[in-house]
Amino acid sequence: MKRKFAAATAVAVMASLTLAGCSGEAEPAVTTEEGPVTLTLSGWSLATTPEFQVLADAFHEKNPDVTVELKEYDSAEYNTLVTADLAAGVGPDIITQKEVKFVTTFQEGGQLLDVSDVELPDGVGGASSYEIDDKAYGVPYRQDRWVLFYNKALFDTAGVDYPDGSWTWDDYADAAAAISESGTAKGAYQHRWQSTVQGFASAQEGTDVLSGEFGYFADYYDRVLDMQDAGAQIDFNTSSANQLTYQGEFGMQKAAMLPMGTWYTATLIAQQAAGEADTFEWGIAPIPQADAKTTGTDNTPLTFGDPTGLSINAGIDEGKVEAAKEFLAFAASLEAAELLAEIGITPAVADETVTEAYFAVEGAPTDDLSKFAWSTGEVAPENPTSNKTATIQNILLDMHTAILSGSTPVEQAIKDAEARFENEVQVD
Amino acid sequence: MTTAAATKAGRPEPSQRRRRSKLTLRNTLLGWSFILPNFLGFATLTLVPVVTLFYMSMTNWNVFGTATWVGFANFERLIGDGSFRISFWNTIYYAALHIPLTIVASLGLALLLNNKLRGVAFFRTAAFLPYITSIVAIAVVWNLLFSPDYGPINQILRAVGMANPPGWLTSSDWAMPAVVIVSTWRDMGYYMILFLAGLQTVPRELYEAARVDGAGAWQRFRNVTIPCLRPTMFFVTVMLTINSFKIFDLILVMTDGGPGQSTSVISQFIYRKGFEENQFGYASSAAVVLFFLCIGVTIFQFIWNKRRNV
Repeated sequence: MKRKFAAATAVAVMASLTLAGCSGEAEPAVTTEEGPVTLTLSGWSLATTPEFQVLADAFHEKNPDVTVELKEYDSAEYNTLVTADLAAGVGPDIITQKEVKFVTTFQEGGQLLDVSDVELPDGVGGASSYEIDDKAYGVPYRQDRWVLFYNKALFDTAGVDYPDGSWTWDDYADAAAAISESGTAKGAYQHRWQSTVQGFASAQEGTDVLSGEFGYFADYYDRVLDMQDAGAQIDFNTSSANQLTYQGEFGMQKAAMLPMGTWYTATLIAQQAAGEADTFEWGIAPIPQADAKTTGTDNTPLTFGDPTGLSINAGIDEGKVEAAKEFLAFAASLEAAELLAEIGITPAVADETVTEAYFAVEGAPTDDLSKFAWSTGEVAPENPTSNKTATIQNILLDMHTAILSGSTPVEQAIKDAEARFENEVQVD
Repeated sequence: MTTAAATKAGRPEPSQRRRRSKLTLRNTLLGWSFILPNFLGFATLTLVPVVTLFYMSMTNWNVFGTATWVGFANFERLIGDGSFRISFWNTIYYAALHIPLTIVASLGLALLLNNKLRGVAFFRTAAFLPYITSIVAIAVVWNLLFSPDYGPINQILRAVGMANPPGWLTSSDWAMPAVVIVSTWRDMGYYMILFLAGLQTVPRELYEAARVDGAGAWQRFRNVTIPCLRPTMFFVTVMLTINSFKIFDLILVMTDGGPGQSTSVISQFIYRKGFEENQFGYASSAAVVLFFLCIGVTIFQFIWNKRRNV
């Protein structure tokens, strides 16, 4: 009797160990849906990021048979958590691609459905970021781009002319120096992210980080270092030691200009309304250009930004695929773009109506240049779609901190990064 | 009685054998029932992942799908990887500074606070506080203190006549010493407690005898305290070594491995390759190297300690 008990215990132990080892592999069989369909969609910080609910509600209104349920993930750990769920076979039907650099990881792992047949409106930005081997594995619904925020009051006090869309980086540096010298505030604040130098350099020099040749960054870094030395902007070391935030520096009027993504528009409006930022008049201008060829409102300024998109989980139940594709098409459409614009989100496609909806929000700037800067431009991807991008961006992050902290000269840091590219990226 | 009977008969009776094997089985089952709950947790949360890690280190795997077996290719790649080499030497550099500094600081604190003084409990608590404070809070405050232009540390250094104080976290030469200062400050309270416990075990009579023999304070420390603290010192050194090789959180929050790669350590290399670049196979091989580094140094310490005991 006791021996039987022992044997049973052993079997139970083995079984539990085995189960523990394979947990997550088995997915319960899903029966084919007929009639009403429920799709799950991943999102983050739902309380402060209303875009997912807006899209879900609007789609349900158009298609009463389809309900889109939101699945919330922690914002900071979003990609890790979604990856874990997908690997365990319990991922959402529709995956929001928060960062483009994860698209290749998901696609190579066979997690994404080919959605090349989803029709996109003309002029939608960022679609190429989801294309691998001529197939689309996602559609963009949102695309922020980098622009120049400026504080009109500080410009007036310093007696400096507002940006007019014709600026090159030299004009920007001159204006920053003039404002700083007048003593009203720092001319500019450049946040510590590598994007604030490298993103512009890649977009405006017509190349990208996959090239492995990084000499084109040199002029952009030299300019930033010169501005730091001249006191036209707070230096990188002070910014990191004091953990400065760009919202605090621009919102509390400590800096007159801020190169930043268009997502900051909604934040600034909200913070001014809540009293978390000073109340002052501000505007948006196109980001300064490398040379005069792309400046002016009759031209198309070059800037950068990564899209946010939606993909379909390859493990989705077949009966839901059509509904999911319809949702993707809707999210990328002009109709959804208008709804997103109304809540301060920059959609991947815009026409006049969408632009008007975006700037109709109380507290938003109303001048034409702001509308031009928000809606016009050639937006290069900061993170080109490749399985090498994440490694390259880490190498370039080290280069960025080495240069801006003043611990390595620009030329040397670039050479080091190029050597690391050869050594660490060209290995496969 | 039973033994006598068994001896007499040459072999135990079948009924006795059955009883004895039943007893053995009962004892075994009883033993298992004590170990099992803990072992199940250990097996699921530690053993299985560790064994998997060794397997993963020989594969190419991006978390999805099947891992491709590549044998020792990942390890060969590690040898040729300049970033890994930098992280490896940075880890050694960190440990070489951090271990002796922490031992000296925590032992010094323990000796100071081993006296029966009024308010000594307060000072002991104060010395232990950094250890239970959030790493992020520590990192943010020390970053402010180390600020090259406005930080109080450099202001004091300037006030005492140093014209060019170090840039601390912004200089590739000074960033690692700065991190070591913070981690020593953080850890010394914990190791102080261990040393305090060790000091309580030193027999008072030894000090009295030494004093009678005319030994001064230094001689008493050298010839009584230190030898009596041997077991504590050994435990502290082993723990400190393992923890130093695994340093991760403080560096991640304070410098993120920068400026450049000046404070990048092996744990951070593993984190970047695995969770940021999705090269889980390659990251696993670096984790295996870290594992063997820790175990190698620990075994060496055990052997060295055993020899000294002999």
